[in-house]
Amino acid sequence: MRLEKCWFCSSTIYPGHGIQFVRNDAKIFRFCRSKCHKNFKMKRNPRKVKWTKAYRRLHGKDMTQDSTFEFERKRNRPERYDRNLAENTLKAIKKIDKVRVTREAKHIERRMKGKKGKELQEAKKELEQNISLVKAPAVLKEDLSLTLPIKVKVSQTQAESHLMEE
Amino acid sequence: MRTVLKVVDNSGAKKVMCIQAVKGKKGARLGDTIVASVKEAYPNGKVKKGKVVHGVVVRAAMQRGRCDGSEVKFDDNAVVLVDKQGQPIGTRVFGPVPHELRKKKHVKILSLAKHIA
Repeated sequence: MRLEKCWFCSSTIYPGHGIQFVRNDAKIFRFCRSKCHKNFKMKRNPRKVKWTKAYRRLHGKDMTQDSTFEFERKRNRPERYDRNLAENTLKAIKKIDKVRVTREAKHIERRMKGKKGKELQEAKKELEQNISLVKAPAVLKEDLSLTLPIKVKVSQTQAESHLMEE
Repeated sequence: MRTVLKVVDNSGAKKVMCIQAVKGKKGARLGDTIVASVKEAYPNGKVKKGKVVHGVVVRAAMQRGRCDGSEVKFDDNAVVLVDKQGQPIGTRVFGPVPHELRKKKHVKILSLAKHIA
């Protein structure tokens, strides 16, 4: 059993799932679900569709270069079976997976790092530019025309109406 | 019935029209055998226009379930002409063919094909 990758979203296709389309030049397009198949039929480019792996890789959202990806690769030469090797591989899979997950989390963290400072900078700039819109509270008290008309307190009237009903 | 299929071997026919599925009444799908009438043919070929021939559907645009539950579909509808015993008339097969033909005992077609999907 081989776990294939979806042509559109690059997710894993487990046996018995999805559909495959064979073009006349014998290129096989495998799709994990009808969503991906439909998008392919609509001639969408996976690099331009935001939820695909191809887009995320292209735009630096995901980690692309890492030694952990080297393990999951199609090899042309079949490996000779060795019990010890198989055992070690099974053990290693878990560990490598853990390493990959932590590295990915770190990558995202690093990517998000500058965000807060950037937002603060933008807010500061806006405040500086539009300071004329803001008036000091003391000025507002002096000149009543600057304030909005006084709001009627709704809660009180409601309480009264309740009383009337009773 | 009445589907015009491309012939993807060197038997001499270009296009055939399905006139009967050999098994079942619902028409033929990928891997099924059909009876067809030759609508277009190359001059000097083995098969002449107007002949009634048997053929195996080697490609179908309609998806077909595989034994593991996934599905497969192709670009076009194509046949390989065979005689009544199931031996191919031509000596070459063009384009990809599905491996399900082995299950249908058309091993000869599979061995002639270049690409197996």
